[in-house]
Amino acid sequence: MIVKSIDALRETLERCDREGLKVLIEGGKTLAGMGPALPRADVSIATTGLNKMLAHESADLTCSAQSGMRVAHLNEALAKHGQFVPIDVPLRKKATIGGSLAAGWPGPRRHFYGRARDFVIGSQVCLADGTLASAGGMVVKNVSGYNMDKLYIGSFGTLAVFTHLNFKTLPIPKKRRALIAPLPEATRPRAIAQIASMAVVPAAAFCVEGFGKNVDGSDDIDGRVLLYFEGTEELLERATLDARSALGKAGVPETTIIDTGASESFDRTLDACIANKRGRSITYRLFGLPGTVEERAVRLRDACNRHELFTDVLFDVMNGDVFVRASERDATRFSEKIATCHAELRELEPRCAIVAGDSAARASFEPWGAVPPGIEKMRALKARFDPHGTLNPGRFIGGI
Amino acid sequence: MLQQRLIEALGTDAVKTAPEDLAVYAFDAYSQGVMPAAVVLPASTREVAAAVKIANDCGEPVIPRGAGTGLCGGAIPARGGVIFSFARMNRVLEVDARNRRARVQPGLINLDLSKHVAKAGMFYAPDPSSQKVSTIGGNIGTNAGGPHCLSYGTTVNHVLELEIVDENGDVILTSLDDIGYDLTGVLVGSEGTLGIVTSAWVRLLRQPETVRVWLAAFDDVHAASAAVTGIIGAGIIPTALEMMDQVMLPAIEAAFHAGYPTDAAAVLLIESAGFEDEMNLHESEISRVVKEHHATTWRAAKSEAERDALWAGRKGALGATGRIAPNYYIQDVVVPRTKLPQALQAVADACEPQGIIAGNVFHAGDGNLHPLLMYDRGDPKQVAAVIEAGNQILGAAVDLGGTISGEHGIGYEKRDTLRRIFSTDDLATMSRVREVFDPKRRLNPEKIFPAGIGCAEVQ
Ligand SMILES: Cc1cc2nc3c(=O)[nH]c(=O)nc-3n(C[C@H](O)[C@H](O)[C@H](O)COP(=O)(O)OP(=O)(O)OC[C@H]3O[C@@H](n4cnc5c(N)ncnc54)[C@H](O)[C@@H]3O)c2cc1C
Ligand SMILES: Cc1cc2nc3c(=O)[nH]c(=O)nc-3n(C[C@H](O)[C@H](O)[C@H](O)COP(=O)(O)OP(=O)(O)OC[C@H]3O[C@@H](n4cnc5c(N)ncnc54)[C@H](O)[C@@H]3O)c2cc1C
Repeated sequence: MIVKSIDALRETLERCDREGLKVLIEGGKTLAGMGPALPRADVSIATTGLNKMLAHESADLTCSAQSGMRVAHLNEALAKHGQFVPIDVPLRKKATIGGSLAAGWPGPRRHFYGRARDFVIGSQVCLADGTLASAGGMVVKNVSGYNMDKLYIGSFGTLAVFTHLNFKTLPIPKKRRALIAPLPEATRPRAIAQIASMAVVPAAAFCVEGFGKNVDGSDDIDGRVLLYFEGTEELLERATLDARSALGKAGVPETTIIDTGASESFDRTLDACIANKRGRSITYRLFGLPGTVEERAVRLRDACNRHELFTDVLFDVMNGDVFVRASERDATRFSEKIATCHAELRELEPRCAIVAGDSAARASFEPWGAVPPGIEKMRALKARFDPHGTLNPGRFIGGI
Repeated sequence: MLQQRLIEALGTDAVKTAPEDLAVYAFDAYSQGVMPAAVVLPASTREVAAAVKIANDCGEPVIPRGAGTGLCGGAIPARGGVIFSFARMNRVLEVDARNRRARVQPGLINLDLSKHVAKAGMFYAPDPSSQKVSTIGGNIGTNAGGPHCLSYGTTVNHVLELEIVDENGDVILTSLDDIGYDLTGVLVGSEGTLGIVTSAWVRLLRQPETVRVWLAAFDDVHAASAAVTGIIGAGIIPTALEMMDQVMLPAIEAAFHAGYPTDAAAVLLIESAGFEDEMNLHESEISRVVKEHHATTWRAAKSEAERDALWAGRKGALGATGRIAPNYYIQDVVVPRTKLPQALQAVADACEPQGIIAGNVFHAGDGNLHPLLMYDRGDPKQVAAVIEAGNQILGAAVDLGGTISGEHGIGYEKRDTLRRIFSTDDLATMSRVREVFDPKRRLNPEKIFPAGIGCAEVQ
């Protein structure tokens, strides 16, 4: 059901909690492929009816929006006053702000702007028992009470349901530019070292091997690099010179400059992170340090190749995240091969999560990596916030 | 029994029990608690854990303490207990330059970290004005801010991983990159009520290519406030945007010779950092805005020495209040930045009728006010008047859509005022977190929560 008011949300949750019904919370469902095959639930509640902008105090650089608002809508509304919130999510026309923050992944511009979490200055949630609870406020600095927002962000809707979120906003950068260059594996480590020490820091930097159709429409599987800059005209000019010389030193001869359509290139790269081939692919996200990103990406790719799976790789040079999609033309063979490959990947990278893939392919194995050291506290938090296990049961790591 | 066991576990040097030694730990920079039962100075995580277990066995609460510069009674023993001082755990353990991060012990002094990594071209961004003395552990405890948090964010945005000792004396690691709940984010700002931080990985930033500092003076605070909104409205987020008023300027100038005009109604100190070209752009935009708002003086610091002098005045401002009155009571409210004029008026309205002199030096860009109410501790009438005025200021900030603490925290002093911004349901929800981490209220009891919130207290 789609809830259209906070009261309806409260009443539904409270009733389900009392009657022992299990509830699935849905935003834009762009991450339905993340985590375990969706658990069976008695009721699903879609928040997409809660989609109003509650306030945009443009002179204060703050805003407040209901959780079911789409990320793209939020930023379109803010853009009328020359502002935005850097929430880097795939499929942002569909993804909701509540779902995005509940998933809470830090995006590729986090080294540049900070994490989406760092822009949340307040929130209201509805707990499983129907209690409405606020934290933070509408000011940009606040240490009154615990950082409750931080607890809900990234909790996959297993502790509470966001009703609205307050953000601090930023002025929209004056210009955007993407630079794309072919980057064969042999030159990659040097190029990455150059990029990491460039004076003008790119807002995002990816190396892509595969994902061709998703990223730039090309079908070629050779590696390429995408640098994405945001800032003033002057800064971008300097960045372009720097980037060309950095890449040149690493032996990369030519770079293509994209000005119109730069942000679309960036968006497509994000979308690729959860791209899925029906029934015969699984996409992983693996966290780690930027300093080791290249070698980890190669190791993961090689592992998939050893299992004779077709592999697309995309990694975030600035932050160290690696996305790997393992696939195979034949669905049956795929499920055989992926089972052993999956175990190996989890072994290689304890901070791993499946982010896309059909339920059938995911059904039989643990979709998250190793449980974190704080798992006991996390379980206790779940028990204290949602004692009857009403919200998104089994959705999260460690069976939370 | 308690003291004996602590000495056996940590050694004589690491345990203080003499009343004259303990007395020092009954205070923070603002308030006084009761005498602690003992003070320990552990040298390692293992020793912290051992001491927590002993305190538990003896039924004594545990109070982590940094430099004691806190301004809300957060580190004082409210009902006795064992104080954990981190004076001996004060090192940088590891610098990972490639990944721009450092692992530090909680007792490390904030400024020492930036000094340590300066040669590598990096710095640690959160810079409370107390940074020469306050510790990273205390900064994590209070989620400290500072002048440069306008563009870099507060402590919580810079803590990547924590090692904590929990209420049972067990060691837990948390990381921002763990899949699971963000325990790191909740621990920062929890004022020692959820766990004791024994080490932290923090983020380092690259030093900017150019730093510019400008000073703008105004004949009236409203014009200065409007200029703050104007600068930010023009799409520029400076790295710092600070204001000082006519009460503070002469006192600061006399103490620091920073070069502030002493006859202005308000001075803005504006800093921007980045690339040369960008800074030229910022300079022309900012100067246009402040002139539109009738700035009487506009000048750029021409050298690093001049820049440092301008900042030394601002960062030392609290120390200069001694020239005005023997004591000051500092408030820490935040309002939406467009409401600064009304908030400053509210400060004047709260103080003038009572004959209290109020100075203002604050983080204007964040809307974070620090009214300094001058008084003499020896005069009970003045004490009462200052408390009353402080309360009125809190109320005004809340009415303007703001909050009761921007960076100093709630601690012991402000816990009852939390009810002004949060409902019982809001507070009871926060208290659920407390019940998970510290069901028996062994960690820094009597802090943050108003009396009567949470089931643990009812039991
Ligand atoms: C490459 C990449 C980068 C990303 N970067 C970022 C980033 O920078 N910032 C960021 O925030 N996210 C990021 N994400 C994750 C992003 O959050 C999701 O892709 C998507 O935006 C989720 O939105 P949705 O509305 O489709 O949620 P859904 O897929 O519908 O739901 C996602 C989860 O949130 C829960 N949920 C939905 N609505 C609510 C609510 N109102 N309250 C509580 N729980 C709810 C659901 O139960 C589910 O568990 C990234 C993902 C990828 C792959
Ligand atoms: C002159 C002056 C200027 C100031 N300027 C600023 C400013 O600009 N911005 C700002 O934010 N604050 C400012 N403050 C307030 C104060 O300096 C900060 O709150 C600071 O973070 C406290 O650090 P500390 O080491 O002194 O901690 P303490 O005061 O000793 O402790 C603060 C809190 O942290 C907890 N704590 C300490 N160590 C640990 C640990 N290892 N684990 C868990 N919890 C711990 C304590 O229990 C207590 O609740 C100022 C204070 C003064 C006196």
